[in-house]
This record gives sequence, C-alpha cells and structure tokens, in this order.
Amino acid sequence: MNICMQIALLFFICLLGQCISLALPFPFPGNIIAMLILFILLLTKVIKPEKIQDFTGFLLSNMAFFFVPAGVSILESYPIMKDSLLPIFLICLLSTIITFFVTFATVKLVVTWQTKHKKTVKGE
Amino acid sequence: MQEVIESPLFSIAITITGYEIGKWLNKKTNNPLLNPILFDICFVILIMQLLDISLETYNIGGSVINMLLAPATAALAVLMYNQLDALKKNMLPVFIGTSVGALSAMTSIFLMCKLFGLDENITLSLLPKSVTTPIAIEISAQLGGIIPITVAAAVFTGIMGMIICPIFIKLFHMKESVSVGIALGTCSHVSGTSKAVEIGELEGAMAGLSIGFAGIFTVIFSLFFL
Repeated sequence: MNICMQIALLFFICLLGQCISLALPFPFPGNIIAMLILFILLLTKVIKPEKIQDFTGFLLSNMAFFFVPAGVSILESYPIMKDSLLPIFLICLLSTIITFFVTFATVKLVVTWQTKHKKTVKGE
Repeated sequence: MQEVIESPLFSIAITITGYEIGKWLNKKTNNPLLNPILFDICFVILIMQLLDISLETYNIGGSVINMLLAPATAALAVLMYNQLDALKKNMLPVFIGTSVGALSAMTSIFLMCKLFGLDENITLSLLPKSVTTPIAIEISAQLGGIIPITVAAAVFTGIMGMIICPIFIKLFHMKESVSVGIALGTCSHVSGTSKAVEIGELEGAMAGLSIGFAGIFTVIFSLFFL
C-alpha cells in the first residue's frame, strides 16, 4: 500500500470510531474505538501490519510530538491550576508510586497462583 | 510579517524545531528531566511570547498537529499486535494487573484530590493521567476535564515513573520480569516502557501491552466517574 492509501485507511478507521462513539448510548472515546477496530482488523488478518507500517511507524515513533499543541494550551489554563501546583505535583508522584506497587503485587499474586495451579493440574 | 506568523506552516515549523532541539538535548545530556515534550512546550510558549502570537493564532497550525493524535492513538493497536505472543502467554496477569493497577491509580488520585480539596475541574483532569497521553486526553475531554492540565500531569507522571521506579526495583530486588514490566507500563505508560525495554525484552513487551490495556480499563472505569 502506498503511503497516501495508508493515511486514508487510518483516517477512515478513526472516522468509523467516531461514528460508533456518537451512536453509543454512553460516552466512549472514538480514538479508543478506532484503536480496537484496528486491533481486530490485525487479529483477523484483514490488514497485515507491514502494509501500514510506513504511516503507523511514523505515528508511533513521534507519538510525543502530537500532543505538544494540547500542552501549549496550558497558557490558557495556567491561572486555574497555579494555586494547586504543589498538590498536583504530590498527587502525580504518590499515585505513580502507589500504582507501581499495587500492580506489581497483583501480577506477582496472579503469576504465583498460576504456577501453583499448573503444578496441581500436572500432578493429577 | 503578520501573514507569515499567521500561516499554519509557521506554528507547525516552530513546534517541530522545538521538538527536535529537545530530542537532541535529551540525548546529549541523558537527563530524563530534560524531556523533549516539556522542552518543546516551553520553546513554543517562549516564541509565542517573543513574537506576540496568541494561542488562537498558534492553534491554526497547532490543530493540524493535534488532529494526528487520532490516528496516532489508533496506531497503538499495532504496538499491542506486535506483542501478541507475549500476550497469549500472559493473558491473565496482563488483564488482572492492568485493571487493578488502573483502578488503584484512579482511586488514589481521586482520594488525594479530595484530601487536598482540589477543584472538581482539576480532579477530572488528573483522573486519567496515569495512562498514555493521547488516551488520557480523550478521557479528560469526555469527563469534562481541562486537557492541558491532563497533558502536563501525564507527561510528568511518565517522567516520575521513569526516574523513581528503577530505584524501587533495585532497592527491593524486584526480579519478576512479567510483574516489573506490567507495573512499569501501568504506572508510567510510554516513559515507563522505555525503562522496561532497557531492563529486558520480556519486561519491555509486558510494559508495551500494559499501555494499551491500562488505557482501555481506565476508559471503562471513568464511565463510572461521570
């Protein structure tokens, strides 16, 4: 697929995601639906990943760049957050640490349970 | 001169320039605090102040870049598909780990926001900040949060995770590859994943998968915060 076709295909998938998002009775972001559609298309081999890799490779390797304009808009919202900078900093820091340990402990539990489970199955 | 500044090409060109300088500086100094995104945001704001460009004018070109967030988010599917084998082998740990992780992130953020008595708007902007920025932006918009605050918090969370988590991993001798990978990807998305890749291949694959799944679970859980 040439690069223009790849761009068009991805844009169509995003638009389809937005259509579905509008039709749903509850709010669910269109871009996430588009991600799920593309994942299903890849799983079912309708699209081969190498067919779209020029465009997806470009998007994935420059991901951070695309949200710079959203970040620049901080100019507008800075007055709202300027009195809460310290709490926001602490919340970011602490929630990251909490999430890290909770996730680590959860996965460890699941893996330990799975290994035990497999052993008992094999033992029978 | 005014016409030149108002051309969408101008904002796109300065944004790319700032990003490339930021990437170069980040590589040169190897300092995670010198993040290309943060640098670029400051660079663009500086140029806007110097040339007296309004946010509205910047966004003529900025919105073109912003538009590409949609296909970039969709492209995360390719990232998940590339780790399909790793996913098949660790389906249960990935699912349970990322869902419990996403829930603990949102709950801890929510409780701390209440504790500090933050505005409703700021709380809603911070809730999705543990997941990858393009997904966090979508959730924030859906919840009625302030998107730039979400972007800043998500980027900052990534940097925090990247700096602090490796210290914990060493300190507590965390050796379980699957657990370390999923924890890194869930708590600090792409930045955490880049650290996980440095630790090992399985860690990297697990972290990469966790970006997508933690994102999806956070979208689902945020339905209940509306």
